[in-house]
Amino acid sequence: MSSLTWVRRRRSVERFWGDFRTRKAGMIGLGVLVVAVVLALIAPLFIDAGVTNVVSGTGEKMAPPSLDAPLGTDESGRSVLLMIWWGSRTSLLIGFLAALLSMVIGTVLGIAAGHFRGWAGAIVLRVTDWFLVLPSLVTALVLAAILGGSTATIIIAIGVTSWPSTARLIRAQTLAVEARPYIERSLALGAGHWHITTRHVLPNVAPLLLASTTLEVASAIVTESTLAFLGVSANKTSWGTMLRGSYDWGAATAGAWWYILIPGLCIVLVVMAFTLCGRALETVLNPRLRTRAA
Amino acid sequence: MIRKCLAVLAAIGLLSLPGTANAAEPGRKVVKVGVTQAVDSMNPFLAVRLVSGQLQRWTYAFLTVPDAKTLQPSPDLAESWTTSPDGLTWTFKIRTAKWSDGQPITADDAAWTFTKMMTDDAAKAGNGPAVENFASVTASGQDLTIKLKAPQASMLDIPVAIVPKHVWEKVPDIGKFEADQVPAVGSGPYVVTEYKKDQFVRLAANKDYWRGAPKIDELQMIFYDNPAASIVGLKKGDIDLIGRLAPPDFESLKGDDNLVQWNAEGRRATYLQVNHGATTSDNKPIGDGHPALKDPRVRQALHYAIDKQKLVDETQNGLARPADGSIIPPLYKSFFWEASGAEKITYNVAKANEILDAAGYKKGADGIRTMPDGSKKLQFRFSIHTDAPSEEKLAEYLTGWFKELGIQLTARRLDSSKFTEETGTTALFDIAISGWSVNPDPEEVLGTHLCSRRPTASGEGGGTESFYCDPQYETLYKQQQKELDRTKRADIIKKMEQRLYVDAPVIALYYPNDLEGYRKDRIASITPIPEDKGILYGGSGYWPFYTVEAVSQDAAAEDGGGSSTGLIAGIAGAVVVLALGGFVLARRRQGAADERE
Repeated sequence: MSSLTWVRRRRSVERFWGDFRTRKAGMIGLGVLVVAVVLALIAPLFIDAGVTNVVSGTGEKMAPPSLDAPLGTDESGRSVLLMIWWGSRTSLLIGFLAALLSMVIGTVLGIAAGHFRGWAGAIVLRVTDWFLVLPSLVTALVLAAILGGSTATIIIAIGVTSWPSTARLIRAQTLAVEARPYIERSLALGAGHWHITTRHVLPNVAPLLLASTTLEVASAIVTESTLAFLGVSANKTSWGTMLRGSYDWGAATAGAWWYILIPGLCIVLVVMAFTLCGRALETVLNPRLRTRAA
Repeated sequence: MIRKCLAVLAAIGLLSLPGTANAAEPGRKVVKVGVTQAVDSMNPFLAVRLVSGQLQRWTYAFLTVPDAKTLQPSPDLAESWTTSPDGLTWTFKIRTAKWSDGQPITADDAAWTFTKMMTDDAAKAGNGPAVENFASVTASGQDLTIKLKAPQASMLDIPVAIVPKHVWEKVPDIGKFEADQVPAVGSGPYVVTEYKKDQFVRLAANKDYWRGAPKIDELQMIFYDNPAASIVGLKKGDIDLIGRLAPPDFESLKGDDNLVQWNAEGRRATYLQVNHGATTSDNKPIGDGHPALKDPRVRQALHYAIDKQKLVDETQNGLARPADGSIIPPLYKSFFWEASGAEKITYNVAKANEILDAAGYKKGADGIRTMPDGSKKLQFRFSIHTDAPSEEKLAEYLTGWFKELGIQLTARRLDSSKFTEETGTTALFDIAISGWSVNPDPEEVLGTHLCSRRPTASGEGGGTESFYCDPQYETLYKQQQKELDRTKRADIIKKMEQRLYVDAPVIALYYPNDLEGYRKDRIASITPIPEDKGILYGGSGYWPFYTVEAVSQDAAAEDGGGSSTGLIAGIAGAVVVLALGGFVLARRRQGAADERE
């Protein structure tokens, strides 16, 4: 039986990939993402955290792009290119982990709210609604300020403020799945809560979850940059802290466009790539969005 | 962080705001001073902020005033004075002059002012320590007699504004009195004629001032929510002068032909406060400072690892002087002390590493040193303020240098009230940034490192800047208090600075310059204090604004009227500014140590 399941799964993955690769925008997004992630992962082979250390920044201050510093330097003479490279590690790490955290909380609570009717479900739903109406940026600022600045606290601050929309989405899907007759059959055969939620509901919401998480990473990266720009950072160079630095040290008045533009463009590029990927995933996985097969 | 967004919005709003205070009539000479600090109180018994201190200097006479040239005490309301041989009885002869309402000034006014501070706890809020040592104050005619409990060398620099008894004795509760009715009765070169909280203060020249009326008719103080808005105000001509600028704001004045960039020695010292084992005033440990910092050798190694010149260049745009001394800046020549010879600590990482190696702090596999007993890694927190780019940059440099020592430093950003609490009372810090604006008589700043200033057992803050408690320092402090000979006293004070330098409960980093800007198409001349390259706004004394000479309005009367689109934008902006400004100010109200005089 299990070999049969695997064959089925492999086929569905193949079908999915076949469908996905026809989406040009999605493929471009995926390509950019792979490049960005690979670059971030191999960075330690070439450079170390020293490139973000002001003490080792010996170049000219706010120097325009040159051979030594292809993307110019910042207010302490550090190479913008190397800082962007090293900073991508922080930005991407926080983006991925915050999205993951948000996804886990959102899935657990979403399925719980959809599966358990009655008072338990109602309470979970009300809590979700309550979090949904909290202004998430302000909440994240306050949380990060209370917890103090470290990578983990920024991840937590973003994660715990961005899960409600995922939870809502998952709950709706759970309700739809649980309305199907085979769930009723399963119940009649004596299936418990655990069996139904993990064996039947979870696999059915998973594709949607994947698409939503991909989009969530994009918004987490933007939130991280926003927080960093507003002064809440993990004491590590990220694209957001670079933007803040350019603002604090008057890069605009000094005419140092490279210091403002490059981190900004990097954020745009990566967020765009995640969004393209997420949209493509959504279209492939959600039958309702699928156009008639060409 | 949130304040920053608001500040930006407020700046945008203010760009389009029409003139803040009433337009001047032609022929009247008006000088407008911009400030970014809110007045905490117009009541001299309560106010602690620098801006309020300036207003007091302009509107009330003090017993003495620092001389414009030498900064040594010189006669003000007190014409002359004598001291008994034991130094315990001081007699001041009060000048024959009039209050701005025409009543004569007598010694009785001064005696009432001091007695009020000695007897009413509410009246001690502003300047309580100044009269701590007073046993009694009596008046007879124009003679004021102050009897002391112990000799006190700083008697000629009492920072207390003398208020008119006939007005103030009717005040029922001094602690709740805002003193904001106008015209206020005073005895300084100016009289407050209008006051709108957080908007402006108008001061008319006191025609009956005993030194002679000032050269201008009116002085206005205009309040801004943030430096960016005030810079725009200066460039537009809404204000004529602004003091206490941060280096980037100062540099943004460059290139405007109408503006004078004023860059002189400042009265402030910026230093690191090291938690060397904080204790309360009953000698019980308090807080969670790192045990390694109790070791003077570690503190000395940290001192060796700081490149002060680099800090000045990078965080202060070169507009400061690296500190080879202690907490008293070089502006005060007679009290300034600087290390020299073998004692002088210069940037030397190798030497710092040697000191730590010799002291037994071994580097682990990760490059970070541990305590000699291996119990704890040398990982320190560095407390700085939120929204302070220069402090962030400072933290980055210290982190970089300390890393080369095998010490890990992590910046901790705190908002100002939490910062003040953690570094001044609860001692929940390892290393913190701090600074102090020093008066011509340094007793106040020296006092911030006394045992008695540490927080009490019940956790009440005593105003310590270091939690320092050192027998040698205490003895020297008592000696200088008794020493009435200025030169001998200066020698003792220098020994105290030396002690602070060597023992390093605080590590002086640099002395920021006094950075100001004014419009030369409005201000014809202004004399700083001290006269030779001194301070304009924020100095101790009224000289700059007493001597200020305005360019007559006729010469500069070609103001264009604001266009109507500008007005509409201005009104829209003003609504935003009012809403947000209220919020910002509400937050600002909790004064930071940074803002105190």
